[in-house]
Amino acid sequence: VGALVAVGLVSALSLSACGGSSSSSSGKPVVTIGFQGPLSGDNAQLGINGKNGVQTAITEANKKGNLPFTLKLQTSDDQGTPDQGPTAAQRLIDDKSVVAVIGPMFSGATKASEPLFSAANLLSVSPSATNPTLTTLGFTTFYRDIPPDNVQGQGAADYLAKALKAKTVFSLDDKSDYGTGLSSVLEAQLKTDGVTVTHDGINPTKDYTSEADKILAAKPAAVYYSGYYAEFALLAKALKGKGFSGVLMSGDGSNDDKYIQQASADVANGTYLTCPCGDANTDPKAADFLAAYKADNGGVTPGTYSPEAFDAANAVISVLQGLGSSPSRSQVANAFKSVNYQGITKQLKFTPTGEVEAKVVYIYQVKDGKRGVLGTTADLIK
Amino acid sequence: MPVGFAAQFWQLTVDGTKIGALYAVIALGYTLVYGVLQLINFAHSEVFMFGAMGGVLTVRAVQPQTTASGFGSVLLVLVGLVCGALAGAVAAFVLERTAYRPLRRRNAPKLAYLISAIGASLFGANLAGKLFGRQNIPLNADLFRDHTLFHIFNASVTLQTVVILVTAVAMLVVLDRLVAGTKLGASIRAVAQDADTASLMGVNVERIIVFTFVIGGLLAGAGGFLYALTFNASWNMGFIPGVKAFTAAVLGGIGNVRGAVIGGLGLGLIESYGGFLFSAAYKDVIAFLVLVLVLLIRPSGLLGERLGRAA
Repeated sequence: VGALVAVGLVSALSLSACGGSSSSSSGKPVVTIGFQGPLSGDNAQLGINGKNGVQTAITEANKKGNLPFTLKLQTSDDQGTPDQGPTAAQRLIDDKSVVAVIGPMFSGATKASEPLFSAANLLSVSPSATNPTLTTLGFTTFYRDIPPDNVQGQGAADYLAKALKAKTVFSLDDKSDYGTGLSSVLEAQLKTDGVTVTHDGINPTKDYTSEADKILAAKPAAVYYSGYYAEFALLAKALKGKGFSGVLMSGDGSNDDKYIQQASADVANGTYLTCPCGDANTDPKAADFLAAYKADNGGVTPGTYSPEAFDAANAVISVLQGLGSSPSRSQVANAFKSVNYQGITKQLKFTPTGEVEAKVVYIYQVKDGKRGVLGTTADLIK
Repeated sequence: MPVGFAAQFWQLTVDGTKIGALYAVIALGYTLVYGVLQLINFAHSEVFMFGAMGGVLTVRAVQPQTTASGFGSVLLVLVGLVCGALAGAVAAFVLERTAYRPLRRRNAPKLAYLISAIGASLFGANLAGKLFGRQNIPLNADLFRDHTLFHIFNASVTLQTVVILVTAVAMLVVLDRLVAGTKLGASIRAVAQDADTASLMGVNVERIIVFTFVIGGLLAGAGGFLYALTFNASWNMGFIPGVKAFTAAVLGGIGNVRGAVIGGLGLGLIESYGGFLFSAAYKDVIAFLVLVLVLLIRPSGLLGERLGRAA
């Protein structure tokens, strides 16, 4: 990181000295990849996971030295909220050296930011915004290398109905774009599978006591929470404290080790988590990535969305490679339409609306205070 | 009425009492300070937060990774309570010194105190965010295995509920005795009634004001630790319970110690029932609706404003 800061400083100095034509200390011009996600706030861990993934891709690409330019990372913190999204996006748009953005990470922030990116013709590839509607809103430069919630919601519902054989499910969402998108697909598929569903929504809060009473009164075999880990941890504590013994399940927003820390291992054990994302720590295909990530991020292991962010950044870099030493935003956006890159999580190849073609959902479970992959839904239901 | 309300009634009562007891403990800080200074200390929510941080961070530092049990649990809870209370007291002391005393020296108008309180609150919360990170901070592992101890009718009462209720009630009784039966308590009541006369009678008003803040801080700090047992600690944890406790104080009659207790418990119960009957999302709305209704009928709260006379 220190070296990068130095490169950044040098490029900033030379930028002011040469009046526009930026170049790094090695004589190559600098090309910047932006990153937008929550780097502060309650759900910052997910943003940090993504940022570190992008950083790893950039550091590795620079190390290889076969690019006609030096890559640099510029982060912009949107706290994961829709109201901070446009401001964070505008910061990246105003930085003329940014030719592509990885992010935004959260669906609400993405929905609010994409109109700006489309207007600026700036490519943005989200590693984690999974709200199904995002690819139907006419954004011209938006892609995501993660399947949307309807894929995750269907997978989760099928797993609850067919593998766990739950007859009644309480579906709770956090009323965010992400939460409601996930819960509505989940509930529709559960009903198709013949499961009785109770729906409720509650804005993020700290006190889930009365919600827990309500859930217990409905006596569900399983609870599925569509929201993020900070709240899911508190909900799990409230439910387990009241003796809830059914299945506890949540989606990719809760699929992080912070969930276990904040709920405590005692409470978290047994929890199922669904995610379209793979697990870099146990997947043999990601071994090289795991080593590089740890080396580039001070020994920290990858978290949720780190591999997807890494893949998204690499797909962008693969496109940049063919565009010479000073690619323009429109060149990058155009070339990305036909990208076909084999990442560590999946093949990155997109439909015209920006949806990744590969559709995979993994089931995780917490055991002895640790998250582990059980397998893909398709394999587990068989 | 939604299905299951009758069946859940006692459970909701137990849960409402638990959170209500915490509101009461925090509300006392508002009520004592108001009684003495006629000042709404809006930064009290940050005193509560710093108390929770002090308790949680100390316990995290001394606790082994495994779930404690038996004597270890009792010891850890005590350590958390004491450190929480001390951290709260220090925060309240510093707050009084920096945010209010300079204004008092200059005979500032009431509005200045309010602005100073809000400023101190924002500063405190963001300072904590800077110092401790803007993430939820849990205890390392459960201090004790939370399980059902006994049933009241059909409601399960867990160990955690018992810990919270016993501690809260003990603190409330001690405070009540302190205010009603000690020399310090008599001085606090004297200052509340008429600060100038009290001062002529030899009461050191400045000292009593500091004591009042510190007592409120001790209670809020210990309450913060109890709150964090369930809800984890975080830099922005103070706001909602702070507003609720302020509501509880107003509901019971601000300035009135016993009123704060009744207001806290009442608010906890209303929230608990309301959250179940309507939606947990409307819990806060229901609480404030009740506040408005009570104030329309009894503008000075259920028991009236009177730290000076009774208590």
